[in-house]
Amino acid sequence: MKASEVMDPNPSTLKPTDTIECAASHIMDNRYRNLPVVDDNFCYVGMFGVNCLLKQVIPKQVFMDKGLKNVGFIHESFDDLFQRFAEVKDQPISICMSHEIKPVSPDTPLTETLLQLYETRSSIPVVEPGSCKLLGMISYWDVGRKIMKFKDQC
Amino acid sequence: MHEFSDAHMLFGMSPLWFSSILFVLTYALIVTERLNRAIISMMAAALMIISGVLTQQQAVQGVDFNTIGLLTGMMIIVGVTRDSGVFQYLAIASAKLVKADPWGILLMLTLVTALLSALLDNVTTVLLVAPITLLITDTLKLNPYPYLFAEIFASNIGGTSTLIGDPPNIMIGSATGLGYNDFLFNLAPISLLVLVVTMVPIYLIWGRQLKAEPHLRNKVMLYREKDAIKDWILLKKSLFVLTLVMAGFIVGHDYGLQPATVAMFGAALLLLLNCFPYSQEKQTEMVAKTLADVEWITIFFFIGLFILVYGVESTGLLEMLAHQVLALTEGDKNVTAIAILFVSAVASTVVDNIPFVATMIPLIKNMALSMGGSQELLPLWWSLALGSCLGGNGSLVGASANLIVAGFAERSGQPIRFLPFMLIAFPLMMLSIIISAFYVNFRYF
Repeated sequence: MKASEVMDPNPSTLKPTDTIECAASHIMDNRYRNLPVVDDNFCYVGMFGVNCLLKQVIPKQVFMDKGLKNVGFIHESFDDLFQRFAEVKDQPISICMSHEIKPVSPDTPLTETLLQLYETRSSIPVVEPGSCKLLGMISYWDVGRKIMKFKDQC
Repeated sequence: MHEFSDAHMLFGMSPLWFSSILFVLTYALIVTERLNRAIISMMAAALMIISGVLTQQQAVQGVDFNTIGLLTGMMIIVGVTRDSGVFQYLAIASAKLVKADPWGILLMLTLVTALLSALLDNVTTVLLVAPITLLITDTLKLNPYPYLFAEIFASNIGGTSTLIGDPPNIMIGSATGLGYNDFLFNLAPISLLVLVVTMVPIYLIWGRQLKAEPHLRNKVMLYREKDAIKDWILLKKSLFVLTLVMAGFIVGHDYGLQPATVAMFGAALLLLLNCFPYSQEKQTEMVAKTLADVEWITIFFFIGLFILVYGVESTGLLEMLAHQVLALTEGDKNVTAIAILFVSAVASTVVDNIPFVATMIPLIKNMALSMGGSQELLPLWWSLALGSCLGGNGSLVGASANLIVAGFAERSGQPIRFLPFMLIAFPLMMLSIIISAFYVNFRYF
């Protein structure tokens, strides 16, 4: 089996110019973990998800190289977290998109795809070879559902 | 000068010329910062041996293991101690002590930085204090620049005051046999004075405008400093060992204990206390992590430099330079001390003070005969220490601590630019050197 056989060919997507607030609402409403970000030509440019949102509400000194390792002394309320979120909510999601998740091609063997799914712990974009066009997304659920089809009825 | 024979020089080269060219090239490469400094110094050391200027045995003799041991030992102790969270505790507690008043916080963080730089080392200190500073200024919605600027100065001034505060002092102490107390009695008073005087222009430039909203100050007051302590048992062990090590530095000199012995014993004791309760596998993991945190780049940089300078010294070049300096100052001890102070300060502003001091040590030692014995060199050593440590404040590249703070500022989106920093820092540094010149002049002549 190949990646193209387990991918969802009609995934939800975001645009790099979407605001963090809009993207956050979309993600929260649908309980997504990560969504692919595509430009006007449906070219895959990165991923945006809950990690980026968490990063916006935690003091940025934590994420600096050699930054704060222990933040147990900071006691904040939801209002404090929202204040921090409010400072960036109108910014485009491109400021904190992740580029670490490498896309696979539709011909990538299933086992290699699963290994990448396991290692990245995120849904994986499937991109047309030789271009950046997003063809679909592979999530844990897509793979899980396909495997579970073969189980005996409980 | 060490014994030397040019019978084994590669291709019959002149050892004096070869080592001089190698020395200048090494310095030039260090200044360009194109290559990692440890690679440069190790390469230079290897070439000293391959070319035949030194044998391997002579090269090993040239390495000052007292400096290496002291640096490594303190790095291990600080590396273990910082995991307890005590440094964050100090920074937060000091900010709360002044009710989160912006100028008060600046003063307190400056004091904490200076104190920790004196007791530990200034690089580790700024690594621990700068992120907390950025957190506090972010919470108070203040520009962190004045705070980071003051911390850079405090780290270098605090480091000047003790034997272990700044690498140049470690090197001078090791080469001369001057102990912890000698540095404390001779350099701590002037360091304190310089720190106080430095805070005046900082207040006039920035301090008066530092204001924060009461509700933001309240947020800082809500920090629970006790929660910064991650491991109370480790904290107790660390403080016990640190106290023992400080006591060892203070009294050990009289019993012939070198600072490296004290620091390495402290490091071994702390590792023992920290690892003892755990399984062998866990102990190996903990020791490996601690040793990995040692700044090996700095250690190998030192080793290479010691060999390079020993090679240069063995050719008689530094002795010749020493005579030149004495000829320029007409052998006047006072003039020589002041010249060393100012030259060290300016040199340390533009180049790394470690290679500079490594070169100056044998050069000054070569002046002993003309000055009337090694005891007469004391003012020159204090001038070298003051010039090279305080000189680090003159520019952003003057000391490792400066670059670390600048790195944090960059990552927080408030970069410290080279020229604007130097425009204020260089005159302030020169002010500290002028104060030091008066101090050296009145105290030792």
